[in-house]
Amino acid sequence: MRILLVEPDAQLARTYAQALHDSGHEVVAAKTAQSAIHAADAHKPHLVLLEMQLVSHSGIEFLYEFRSYDDWQNIPVIILSVVPPGEFAGSRQLLEKELGVTGYYYKPHTSLAQLCQLVNQSTVDV
Amino acid sequence: MGQRSRKLAATGALPAGRQVSEQLLLAVSEQMKLPFLQIARAAEYGQLQQSTETLPDIQTTADAAIRLLDNYLFGARLGLEEQYALELEPVSVSSVLYDAGQELDQLAKLYGVELELNVAGKFGTVMANRQALQSALISLGYTLIEALPSLQTKDHKLQLAAHRCRYGIVAGMYSSVEQLTADALRAGRKLHGHIRQPLATLTHSSGAGVFVADTILQAMDSELTPTRHHRLFGLGTVLKPNHQIQLV
Repeated sequence: MRILLVEPDAQLARTYAQALHDSGHEVVAAKTAQSAIHAADAHKPHLVLLEMQLVSHSGIEFLYEFRSYDDWQNIPVIILSVVPPGEFAGSRQLLEKELGVTGYYYKPHTSLAQLCQLVNQSTVDV
Repeated sequence: MGQRSRKLAATGALPAGRQVSEQLLLAVSEQMKLPFLQIARAAEYGQLQQSTETLPDIQTTADAAIRLLDNYLFGARLGLEEQYALELEPVSVSSVLYDAGQELDQLAKLYGVELELNVAGKFGTVMANRQALQSALISLGYTLIEALPSLQTKDHKLQLAAHRCRYGIVAGMYSSVEQLTADALRAGRKLHGHIRQPLATLTHSSGAGVFVADTILQAMDSELTPTRHHRLFGLGTVLKPNHQIQLV
């Protein structure tokens, strides 16, 4: 499975990419919303792992742009963020129904093992 | 808590020092999540791989985070003290920049940031508090080192440099990142303590290092200011030359 990892922090991106790679996935990393759109275009990911707190453009802005393309309507997006999910409680409808987010996970509470499990589960679902 | 503080707290208005320190606490707490997260995941990856390969990175991350915490405590204490000013002494800018560069070197390597020291020219000494100036530069460097790789830039170079200006000697950190502007800093100062990402065009984190540096420099009767060095953009502080030594 090809995963687009949208992660602004260089250290975390490296660790997540290694763990996912070891789990048998191909990982394409992008650090900004803009570069993530380019990466999606170039690499056709099967799944997107998204941090909401990016530089310049937020994860929400990325999602609006990403979902505006017909080809990317059905690609699952999992949010893995340092922003607690509770802060998006009021936007759950928007995230799930309009922007097609399949899950929201809080980074500090999500281990690498759990992340790989989530991604593997998404592979089965896809 | 004194009578005045109690009265202010009851009305919701905190003394300036308390307010500064609480805003800083929020920014630093938010900031600290990142190194803890990096350490936790790197440690987990090491365990999964049954390898000690991640240990040096963990150590560097922890050391840098401890240093930022120390600088925060230094700044917060200064903010809480009634005498919110540090004693100044003749300080060599070049040597402070050099020492700050040495302290940031490992973190820069971990983030793939090339650290350069540019102190060409004789600047003599300036009136500053050495500990405060160095702590401020290290805090600033912490945020910039972490921020550079998260930006869409061609190179990840950070230059520690000094140059003369009309008001004295400017010591600061520079890169090709155009987001290091007066507007970004102004907006960041306004939003600092109120939102998670006050320097949203510069860094994905809370940018606590910038605000820690700002607080420490204020205690030195100075401030963090946007500045240019050759064609680079940066943040730095203007220091007054030590004329007495020059006369001697």
